[in-house]
Amino acid sequence: MASDLTNEPSADVEAEEEVEFFLDPSRCIGCQACVQACAECDTHRGHAMIHLEYVDRPTGVQTAPVVCMHCEDPTCAKVCPADAIKQDDEGKVHTAAKPRCVACSNCVLACPFGVPKMHAEFDLMMKCDMCYDRTSMGKKPMCATVCPSGALYYGPRAYVEKYRQESPTREFHFGAQTVKTKVNMMTSPEVKALPFDVLDFLPWEGESETDASEDLFATIRSGAPNAASAAVWDHALTEHL
Amino acid sequence: MATLNLTEQEYIDRYGPNPAHTPAGGWDNRQPDKLVKTHCCFCGVQCGIQLKVKENKVIGFEPWEEFPVNRGKLCPKGVKRYMQNEHPDRLKAHLIRSLDHGFREASFDEALDKTVAEIQRIQGAYGKDAFAFLGGASMTNEKAYLNGKFARVALQTANIDYNGRLCMVSAGAANKLAFGVDRSANPWSDIPQAKVIILAGTNLAECFPILTDYVWRARDNGAKIIVIDPRITPIARTADLFLPVRPGRDNALAHGILHVLVQRSWIDESFIANHTSGWENLESLVAEYTPEKTEQITGVPAQSIVAAAELWGPAETSMLLHARGIEHHTKGVENVLSYINLVLASGRIGKPGSGYGTITGQGNGQGGREHGQRCNQLPGGRDINSPPHRQHIAEFWGVEETSIPQEGLTACEIIDAIEAGQIKGLLSISFNPLVSIPDSERTRAALEKLEFYGAIDFFMNETARHADVVFAGSLQEEDEGTVTTGEGRCVRLHNSVSPPGDARRDWEIICRLGQKLGQEKHFSYDKAGQIFEELTAASKGGPIDYSGMTYQRIEDEMGIFWPCPAPDHPGTPRLFENGKFHHPDGRAKFHAYPYRPPAEDIDSEFPLFFTSGRVVSQYLSGTQTRRIGGLVDQYPEPLCEMHPLLAKKLGIEDGDRVRVVTRRGDIELPAQIVRSIRPDTLFIPYHWAGKKAANRITNRALDPISKIPEFKVCACRVEKIGPPENASTSHGQ
Amino acid sequence: MPFLDKKAAIAGTVLAGLVALAVFTGSMGLRHFDPAVTLYTVGSILAAFAVGYRFTLWAQRPPSRMYFLRGLQILTRRGPRAIRQSQARKKSLPEATLANATGENFVAQNFIRRRSTYRWIMHLCLSGGCTLAFAITFPLVFGWVHFSSPPNDAEIYQVNVFGFAVDQFPVHGFKAFVMFNLLNFAAVLVLAGLGLAAYRRLTNAGERATQTFMEDLLPLILIFAVTVTGLMLTVSYKFLDGAGHHLMAIVHMWSVLVLLFYIPFGKLFHMFQRSCSLCVSLYKKAGADGARAHCVRCGDDYASQMHVDDLKTVLDQVGFNYRYAGTKGEVHYQDICPHCRRRLLALNQGTTLRR
Repeated sequence: MASDLTNEPSADVEAEEEVEFFLDPSRCIGCQACVQACAECDTHRGHAMIHLEYVDRPTGVQTAPVVCMHCEDPTCAKVCPADAIKQDDEGKVHTAAKPRCVACSNCVLACPFGVPKMHAEFDLMMKCDMCYDRTSMGKKPMCATVCPSGALYYGPRAYVEKYRQESPTREFHFGAQTVKTKVNMMTSPEVKALPFDVLDFLPWEGESETDASEDLFATIRSGAPNAASAAVWDHALTEHL
Repeated sequence: MATLNLTEQEYIDRYGPNPAHTPAGGWDNRQPDKLVKTHCCFCGVQCGIQLKVKENKVIGFEPWEEFPVNRGKLCPKGVKRYMQNEHPDRLKAHLIRSLDHGFREASFDEALDKTVAEIQRIQGAYGKDAFAFLGGASMTNEKAYLNGKFARVALQTANIDYNGRLCMVSAGAANKLAFGVDRSANPWSDIPQAKVIILAGTNLAECFPILTDYVWRARDNGAKIIVIDPRITPIARTADLFLPVRPGRDNALAHGILHVLVQRSWIDESFIANHTSGWENLESLVAEYTPEKTEQITGVPAQSIVAAAELWGPAETSMLLHARGIEHHTKGVENVLSYINLVLASGRIGKPGSGYGTITGQGNGQGGREHGQRCNQLPGGRDINSPPHRQHIAEFWGVEETSIPQEGLTACEIIDAIEAGQIKGLLSISFNPLVSIPDSERTRAALEKLEFYGAIDFFMNETARHADVVFAGSLQEEDEGTVTTGEGRCVRLHNSVSPPGDARRDWEIICRLGQKLGQEKHFSYDKAGQIFEELTAASKGGPIDYSGMTYQRIEDEMGIFWPCPAPDHPGTPRLFENGKFHHPDGRAKFHAYPYRPPAEDIDSEFPLFFTSGRVVSQYLSGTQTRRIGGLVDQYPEPLCEMHPLLAKKLGIEDGDRVRVVTRRGDIELPAQIVRSIRPDTLFIPYHWAGKKAANRITNRALDPISKIPEFKVCACRVEKIGPPENASTSHGQ
Repeated sequence: MPFLDKKAAIAGTVLAGLVALAVFTGSMGLRHFDPAVTLYTVGSILAAFAVGYRFTLWAQRPPSRMYFLRGLQILTRRGPRAIRQSQARKKSLPEATLANATGENFVAQNFIRRRSTYRWIMHLCLSGGCTLAFAITFPLVFGWVHFSSPPNDAEIYQVNVFGFAVDQFPVHGFKAFVMFNLLNFAAVLVLAGLGLAAYRRLTNAGERATQTFMEDLLPLILIFAVTVTGLMLTVSYKFLDGAGHHLMAIVHMWSVLVLLFYIPFGKLFHMFQRSCSLCVSLYKKAGADGARAHCVRCGDDYASQMHVDDLKTVLDQVGFNYRYAGTKGEVHYQDICPHCRRRLLALNQGTTLRR
């Protein structure tokens, strides 16, 4: 009962055997606990596979955590010239096989989510494998265990469906390409497949870049509130600066 | 005496801080000998964590998902906290200052003897109070208790205080004034049940990251979040309502919100009548704070003030959480009381999902302030100025009541008194005042005047460089004990490894000093557990009662909330149930403090507000976290946040080197141009030392009640020095 | 995919035929061929078919084919403008790049040293030992090399390669000792490598979690079996008067045959696949010297334009279509850098939730 009120994952949902990965970048606080924890993994200690970066620090503190989404039909594996990227029976797409990888960067450039990392010093691509060493033993991935905000969650679907205000989707539309993944993305309940828009975020020729900092109350992109547009700034005090 | 005799670089070469990316012997991926269930050494959440131990070394960590507060969650500091025990900078021997070249290693006995001789010389020549003791709130309850007893019984000095004076005291004092007891009213498990949450002056996501999940669970339950801060912090970014308060105006904003609540009759009149006092004064005070007037003072748009009241007023349940943002002021106590007024007026306290909590910055911010480590306090949260309290503790300790000193100076006042030549000797433990106290050049000058300075720490912090004797103390994982978290839950720390080299457990150092000062019978403990038993017994019957707790119970029950006055008492997660408060009349008190400006407000010479705070990857003065490579990489050096509107006016571009000047001094650093801060405010995090210390420019004006310094607001100006030193450096990633 | 790939089958047949031809001609029409090793030879010829088949199958995949094609074009100074442009700058000869890459990647294996010194030593022992062993045994088995004594002097050995006498030395001399024990030296080297590999596979927590029997353990077991039984042959005839020699010879032969047939199907095939890394080295060099691709969103240089263009082709060939078309214009997703893709993920998700 208490768990119903506090939204703690409790017996009713923890009993579920099937566990999945749920990603909600909108909750991310950019603390990098996931990055630090990822680098503690036995299979790649000292190197983090997860990505976490500011979307655009000058305009705000929004951050983008990205793990491998484990595509059903992984583009990275399809463009690998060396057969180095394998998908296992559970659908996890593994990091490059060390003997095979020729460090060509095809996967780095082709992955729709920008996941694989090229370690030039090792001539080796390394990427998130959903902590295969941990998940294969029934543990949670490092990043999702430590994440303090719930941006990364690994657990039963029942929990997410019962308690989260967002809904999970595993389908993305990249222009003409539909990509289905093993990892869930939290989104608005009415969104069945996440439209991965690109065109609206590009600087098109002829479109003058509106300088939002000029206009205090200019509409700015969602996710990047401007302290100036919310604050009453006393111009008189700082006029002579 | 205590001037430095090595260059900065020489100190760094010998003692650090040197950021290490791997433990001293490299990664050890072997199977650990044991997994020790213990807690993180950093903030007041005290997350459960398991340390991997191999051959008496901490080699890694494993999340501890069974601990109910964090369920395996950790922030980056927690993940990397295990890197200290095997750190190359770790002090493994005691050091005595040598005149020409820094320090020489010394035996434990030599260090003790020298310290005792100096204590006796100084106290003999200048009186007992000329020797001061500064403790810390990152230490266990056992050590906090022992520090207090050591100062009163062995040193017999009035001048003992702790670095919680820079952190929790405004909240503590306000809690006592409002509720009659100093503790968060609710367990954090109440947060997800709240329907509206005010986060006032708390950069929750960076300073208390684990509670972010609690806040989101509340939102999933339909809660609305109101954030009050001059900066759009990560938790503020997605808030339902953001009130960008002008620094130093917090209590006016609370009054403004309460004004609307009164106007719209969103107050619980029966609760006020039955369970509180002082409402009338407050009601007439807030009548003046119309949204328009409040907007003028606070810079928060009037419609936002009304919106806040509209969210808070009719809510079914609510939580107020606040932190240093409203507490680090010369009216810190008044600010806190003004926000508590919002809670009391709504009558929503002492119920599931309804109440109040403070965000404790330090690891034992709560417990460190309960057991007599403060200048005005005796064990069990007793008052050193109260004759019956003094008598009780004198009898418990078996000393004369008259031998217990009276109330002494607070931490900043101790530094002032050293500067003024009144205090000649100092012993500090786990405290780095050179970085953490405002106006650091004055702190440096004070240190140089000391005739003797002894420091106990596990790393050579910047202040300890000035010491005559440095004792190699213990890390949290090298000792056992208890800490009390920000929600009032006393949790158990387990010993993971023994201190390396000749380093000693802190309490052992204090006890040996006590013994050598002739108080053998008061300082003869074999283990930390004995101190805990004495501490709980001492607290019996006091305002802060631990007497029902044992190590075994705490461990079995995953922590116990005080008060816990009997072995069969379950502890008290939620205070004030049924409207019963801890003042003698059982009522909570409203306090009506009109708004007054900060000690130093902006003017034509210094036209901008300066405020300081933390980043998520660093902890307090950085003694620990500036040594951990992964954390250093995350935010390597302080940056000066400023709004593009301001930057444009001054011709400053992102990454340019700027100089921020106040009446105390200046600091030079790169600018970070961001829209997430008020255009009239500059922000610099304070974790760095020397020329990178934000506290070079902050104001040491103190709150009259809590004696907390005004870290969060002073007046400054900023000027451009030149382009970035290294054009390729990217900032803030 | 049809049951048998035609091109691959042809390639396999050609390779097997070449080996058979080399055996026939190298042994002077089987004159120097030892019938006792017939099964080894047949096995090798079949394995050659499998290797040829598998290699061709793999090299025909669009991404692999693209690299081999570009590698050849760079070496022959043909192909698209990007390659010719980069050649025109004459910064370095592709032959030099190729020689350098061969030395770095195949001989010194420096990329493994940078990954881990331990693994580098381990791999040098294994690859060096195996290469040495095959370099000795194949020519002997195929009859390319045989020893004979001159008719007048039984104390002298004569080395014949492809039927021509190339060297001779005393039977009891140092050179003879080295010659006859070279295979044993190789075996010791391999055993050292196997020891290192076994320790790592048994103790390293990360490897233990991710290794599989077929990929990671079986090849080690097979190499171990071949090495140990081979060494036992020497032990048997030198110290045990030939006891168990016949049985050991049979076990050795079968373990060698299994190993030969494992090569095209398992982990060890990487020795052929790494040839692609030579093409990649050439490709990267040409790309670095040629036109660069700049992200259409942030403007950063994130790859060579040739790479981006080739990947678009490869994506089409493997059946992906990451093209966008809207009122504002058209964009191929490949023209956006990976960094921006990650940020766009957060932006798009945040937009759906208005955060």
